Amino acid sequence: MRRSVLLFLLIIYSGASIAQINYRADLISKDLLPYASAIIRNKEVTIQVADLNSTIYHIKTAITVLNKNGDNLARIVIWHNKSNNIKYVKGLIYDEYGKQTSKFSESNFDDVSAANDFSLFEDSRVKHYSPPVTSYPYTIEYEYELRSKQTLNFDSWKPINQLGLAIEKSSFTFICKPDFKIKYKEINLLNKAVITINGEGLKTYSWQVNNVKAIKDEPYSPNPETYLGSVKIAPENFSYEGIKGSFTNWNELGKWTYDKLLLNRDMLSAETKAHIIDITKDIADAKEKARKIYEYMQQKTRYISIQIGIGGYQPFIADEVDKLGYGDCKGLVNYTQALLKVAGIESYYCVVEAGNEKRSMLPDFASMDQGNHVILCVPFKNDTTWLECTSQKIPFGFLGDFTDDRTVLACTPQGGKLLHTPRYLPQANLQIRKAKFNISATGELSGDMQTTFEGTQYDNREEFMGESSIEQEKLLKKIYPINNLDIGKFMFKQDKSSKPVTTETVSLVARDYASVNNNKLYFLINSVNRRTGVPREIRNRTTSVYLNDGYTDEDEISYTLPKGYHFEKLPLNLNVEKPFGTYQATMVLKGNVLTYKRRIAIIDGTYDKSAYQDLIDFYQTVVEADNYNTILVKNN
Amino acid sequence: MRNILFCFLLLSSLYAEAQDFPYGEITQKDIDLKKYEKDTSAHAVVLAEFGKCQILAQEQTTPLDFEYHVKIKILDSKALDKGNVEILFRVGDSYHFDKITDITGITYNLAENGRIEKTELDPQKIYTTNENKYWNKITFAMPNAKSGSIIEYKYKLESPYLINFKSWEFQSDIPKIYSEYEVHIPAYYRYNVLIRGPLKLSKNPSEVEKDCFDFHGFKCDCSKITYAINDVPAFIEEDYMTAKKNFLSAMYFELSEYADFGANGVSKKLSKEWKDVDYELKHDESFGNQIKRKDMLKDVIMPVIANKTTELDKAEAIYAYIQKNIKWNQFYSMSTDVGVKKALDKHTGTVADVNLALVSALNAGGINTDVVMLSTRDHGVVNKLYPVITEFDYVIARATIGNKTYLLDATDPLLGFGMLPVRCLNDQGRVMSLDKPSFWTDLNTGQKEKTTTLVEVTLQENGKLKGTITRYSSDYSAYLRRRAIKKFNTVDEYVEDLDEKMPKMKILKSEVTNIDSLDKPLAEKYEVEIDAFKDLNNTRFTFNPYLLDRVTTNPFKLTERNYPVDMGVPSENTFLLNMNLPEGYTIENAPQNATFVMPDKGGKFSIAYSGTGNSFNFSHITQFNKPIYDVNEYPALKELYNKIILSEKAEMVFKK
Repeated sequence: MRRSVLLFLLIIYSGASIAQINYRADLISKDLLPYASAIIRNKEVTIQVADLNSTIYHIKTAITVLNKNGDNLARIVIWHNKSNNIKYVKGLIYDEYGKQTSKFSESNFDDVSAANDFSLFEDSRVKHYSPPVTSYPYTIEYEYELRSKQTLNFDSWKPINQLGLAIEKSSFTFICKPDFKIKYKEINLLNKAVITINGEGLKTYSWQVNNVKAIKDEPYSPNPETYLGSVKIAPENFSYEGIKGSFTNWNELGKWTYDKLLLNRDMLSAETKAHIIDITKDIADAKEKARKIYEYMQQKTRYISIQIGIGGYQPFIADEVDKLGYGDCKGLVNYTQALLKVAGIESYYCVVEAGNEKRSMLPDFASMDQGNHVILCVPFKNDTTWLECTSQKIPFGFLGDFTDDRTVLACTPQGGKLLHTPRYLPQANLQIRKAKFNISATGELSGDMQTTFEGTQYDNREEFMGESSIEQEKLLKKIYPINNLDIGKFMFKQDKSSKPVTTETVSLVARDYASVNNNKLYFLINSVNRRTGVPREIRNRTTSVYLNDGYTDEDEISYTLPKGYHFEKLPLNLNVEKPFGTYQATMVLKGNVLTYKRRIAIIDGTYDKSAYQDLIDFYQTVVEADNYNTILVKNN
Repeated sequence: MRNILFCFLLLSSLYAEAQDFPYGEITQKDIDLKKYEKDTSAHAVVLAEFGKCQILAQEQTTPLDFEYHVKIKILDSKALDKGNVEILFRVGDSYHFDKITDITGITYNLAENGRIEKTELDPQKIYTTNENKYWNKITFAMPNAKSGSIIEYKYKLESPYLINFKSWEFQSDIPKIYSEYEVHIPAYYRYNVLIRGPLKLSKNPSEVEKDCFDFHGFKCDCSKITYAINDVPAFIEEDYMTAKKNFLSAMYFELSEYADFGANGVSKKLSKEWKDVDYELKHDESFGNQIKRKDMLKDVIMPVIANKTTELDKAEAIYAYIQKNIKWNQFYSMSTDVGVKKALDKHTGTVADVNLALVSALNAGGINTDVVMLSTRDHGVVNKLYPVITEFDYVIARATIGNKTYLLDATDPLLGFGMLPVRCLNDQGRVMSLDKPSFWTDLNTGQKEKTTTLVEVTLQENGKLKGTITRYSSDYSAYLRRRAIKKFNTVDEYVEDLDEKMPKMKILKSEVTNIDSLDKPLAEKYEVEIDAFKDLNNTRFTFNPYLLDRVTTNPFKLTERNYPVDMGVPSENTFLLNMNLPEGYTIENAPQNATFVMPDKGGKFSIAYSGTGNSFNFSHITQFNKPIYDVNEYPALKELYNKIILSEKAEMVFKK
C-alpha cells in the first residue's frame, strides 16, 4: 500500500517535470551567456552502488548549443570496456524554439578504440555521437546508463570541466546501501552534501549547483581542481576485477596495493639473479650497485604499454619483463625493484601523477585514481634516490620535470606512505652560455659559443642525442633564431651523474646578421636566446598566478665589431626585480668590443592574481629588451 | 579435400622458396653491423624485405593473397620503435573482410658469450584492436629488441578487395639494402602498373606460369613479375613539403579488366581509358546515379530559389543552402556513403554526400553543373597518362553560369562562392559530365591570401600613438580571419581577445563588417592607442615603422632542398602607415625606397616612403605569387626572406 502511494507520487512528480521542461534558447538568462558556447540546461548524474561488484551510472543531460564552438561540448562520449557496459543510450534534438526535430539511439553512435597513441594495446573503447545539426542554437537531450563491475573508483563530479560551458542546473546523487561506507571530499562547493535515506531505504548523498558562468581561459592558472568545484568519492570496502579490499587512508590503500597487486611479482630466473650478483659483486657502495643495475635494466628493456583488465593496476611479473625485454611503467619499476632486491637493496614502488604540470596526491583523501605513472624510490642511508624506469637514456637518480616536486604514494610491505619527490630549485635549473662573436664590416656574424644545461634544463637538448650530425645540424638551425645560420664544428657532451650536465659547443657563421646602411650597423643584440611572446592580458582575472617551472638562464656574448663605431641610441641597462623573477640585460662598448649580458630567473610558485599584470609587464620588458635593435654609427 | 589443400600448400611454398629470403637465418656479418656505411645517419636499416601478392582460386572466391617478410637491423636505441609493429586491415562486412594470418617473428641478439640468441614472438602477445568501423589493427612488440638487435617478422593478408591490389613502398624512413616485390597476376585480370619516385629498378624479370589459375574450370596462365631495388635510400621529409606520395619510390596497381566468372567469364573492362571510367562512374549507384536523377531534390530546392531571378543568384542560394544543411562528417570520399537524399535528410555526410548533393541540387535548380574528381594535397598529384581511380580522393562541383565556370565545395560553411579549400588546390581535376566525355581542368581559382592594412596615427606628447588601424582581408585571408572570429562566441569576445593579446595596444572602439557576407572582403576597423615611447623627453628617438607582423626569423633554414616548397596559396600583404609627429619634430633618418624581386615574378618585397615636415607616409608590400616553389627557386625564396628581415631592422630617427 505504501509502495503504491509512492509510485503515484512519483508519476505526478515526473509528469510535472516534463511539463516544466522548455528548451527554448531565449529562456536562458543573459547572465550565463558571456564566454559560453553551450549551456547545460539540466544535468543529473547518479551513481548507484548496487552491490560490491557493481556500480550503475545514470547520466541525463540537456545542453543548448549556442554556436559551432559548442558542438564539441554537446558531443556524447561514453567510455566502455569489458568491465564497463553501456546498458542503453538515447536522446532527442530540439530546435531553438524547443520543438523536437529528431531523435537518436545507440545505433547512431560510432564505436572506436580509445587506446592511447603510446600504447601497443588497451582494452578501452569509446562510443561517440556528434549531433548533426547545422543551425544554432539547438538543444540535445540524452540519457544513458553504464554498468561498472567494480566499486573501487567512482568518477568525480566536476560540474564545470570545460571552457565555454555554463550551467543552469546540474546535480549529482550518490546512492548506496546504508552499510556501504564512503568518504567524500567537497572541493570549492558552496552547497554541502544533502544526506538522506530514500524511500527504498538507500542512503543518498546529493549535491547541486545552479547558474554557474562559463570560465575563460586564463594563462598561468593553477591546476583547475584548485579553483573549480568538484566532489570526490572513495569507498571503504570495494571489489575490483574480483579482488576485494578496504581502505580509509593512504596507508591502507598502499598496503592493499602492495599485498594484492605487487606481492610475489618479483620472481626472477636463477640465471638472471646470478647475473645481477655477478655484475655487482665487485662494487662495495650500495648506491653504485644500484646504478649498475639500473643501467643494466635500461639497456635491456624498452617501454611498451599494454593495459588489459587488472593489468591497468598490476605489473607484469619481473621474470616476464626479463624474458620479453619490455614492459610498461609498472612492469619496468617492478622489474627494477626485483633486480635491486637480488643485490639486497630495498626500494619502493611509487604511484605518481606524472606530467609537466606538478600534481600531488591529496594528503587528506586517499583514492586509487590520483596517479597515472609509477616510479621507483631507493632510500639509501644518506640520501633518497628516485628512478624513472621507462627511459633508456635518463641518468640514474634524475627525474626531470615529468615527476619532480610532487607528493607520491609509496606502496611498501608496511603500507602506503606519502613521499615528496625532489624539487629542482630555480637556481639549479641552469642554462649558461658564453659566446665570442665577431661582426664584420659587411654584417657577417661568426664565432663560438658554449652552453651548459643543468637541473630540469639538463634535457633541453635530448632530441639531439643519438642523432646523426646532419640531423643535429638541422636541429641547431631551428633552435637558434639567427638568419642565414651556417653551423661549423659542434659537439654535445652529457655528464650522466646524479647532478647531470649537458654541454653544447657550436661554431657558427651567418652572413647579413647585421644590416649595413648609411654608415650604420643594425643588429639584434640578443642573437641566441630571445623571448618573443608576452602572455595575454586578462581583464578581471579570477585565478591565482601559477608558475610551474623555475629556471635561470645566463647569456654572455662579446661581439668584436669593426673599428670606429659608437652607439646611436641608448644602450640597454636593465634590472627588473619581481617576486616571481628577475631580469638583467646590459651592454657595454669598450673599444670595439661590445659585451652583452643577460640573466633571467623565474621562481616557480603560486602568486596572487594581482601579480598577473606585473607578470605581463615583466615579460613585455623582457621581450622588448631581448629584441633590442642595436644601432651603431661610424665615428666621423 | 585434405589432399588438395596439401597440394596447394606445397605449390605456394614452392613459389616462396623461389624468391623469398630464408626465414630464421641471419649472418654473422649482419649481427656485427654497427653502422650502415651507405647512410651513417641511419638508426636502423632494412637488411631485406620481400613481398608477394597473388590472386588465389579458392572454393568460393578469388581473394588477393599478400605475404610480407622483413628483416631489420636496429643500429641504435632511437630506432626501437621499429620493433613495435602495427598492421592495419579492413573491417568490411560479414562476407567481405581482410584477414591477417601466419604472423611469426624472431629477434636476434648477440649474447655475451658471442653466440646468437633468438627470441621468438609469442603468438599470445599479438593484439587485435577494432579501431573504427572501417579499420582493424594488429599490434605486437618484438621481444628483446634493443640496440644492435635484428628483428625479423612475416605475415599474410587475405583480402577480397581485388581493386586494392597491394601497392608497394620501396622507400621508408630508414634505408633498405634490398626490397623486392613479386606479383602473380592471372590472365583473367589486368592491372595498370604505376611506378613513382626517382629510383630505378635494379631487377625486373617476368615470366609466364602455365595454368596457374583454375577457378571452377576457368583456367589460365599467370604473369609473374618481380620488382626489386638494391640500396634504397631513406626518405627524409622536409618542412613545407607537398605530399610525400609525390616523391616516394613506390608501385601502385590499378585494376583495369577482370573476368566475371558469374557471367561465364566475360571480360569486364574497368579503367583502361577515360571513356571506360566515364561510363563506369556514370552508372555507379553511389556516383552517377546520385546526380542523374534531377528531380530527386527538386521539392527541396524550389523554395530555396523561389524569388531568385538570375542564374548566379540561384546558384549562390543553393550553395548556401547545402552548406547550411549538410554537416560534413570529416571523411573524404569519391562516392556517396549514404546517398544524396539521405545525407540531406540526416544533415550529415562525407565529402561526396555533400558535394554530389550540391551538384544534384544545382542541376535541379537549372544550373548546368558537373562533378570534378580530384586528389587532395596530402594525397599527391594524379598521373595524366591513364586513369587510376584510387589516385583521386575527393569530389567538388563545377557550375557553368553564362560563360563563367565556378568550382564549388560545400563542406565548409565559411567558404565563399567559387572558393575552394586549400586541400583541393592540387594541380588538376577531372571534370565528369553526364553528357560529355571527361576532361582535365585547372583547380587554381586564382584566389590569394590578401590583406591590406592601413594605419593612421598621430604621436601624442605623452609618447602614445593614437589613431586607427583598418584591415581589409580578401579571399583566403578573409576566410582565415572569419574562422578566427567564429572561434569566439561573439565579435566582442574576439575583439577583447585581440586587445588582450597586444599588451602595448588598447582598442578603444571597433567595427567589424562583412563577417557573414562571404563574397565581400572582411573589414576590421579599430580605434587604438599604442604605447610607443615612455615619454617624449629625449631630443632624438628611434622608431621602427614596421608596426605590425614584423618578420624576424627566416622560416627557411636549409642550405638546399630536395623537394618543392608548399606555400599553400599565393599571398599579397600591403601595409600603409600615415603618421603625424607633434609640432617641432623632424625626421632625421627615413627608410629608403627599395624593391626586391624573385626571378620569374615569383615574389616581391617593396618599400616606399615619402615625408614632409613632421608627417610621413610609409608602405611596404610583400608578395608570394606561387602556391608551390620549385627546388631551384628555393635559394631565391630564402633570400627574399633575408631581404625582408634585413629591411625590417632599419629604424627611423625622429628629432625634436
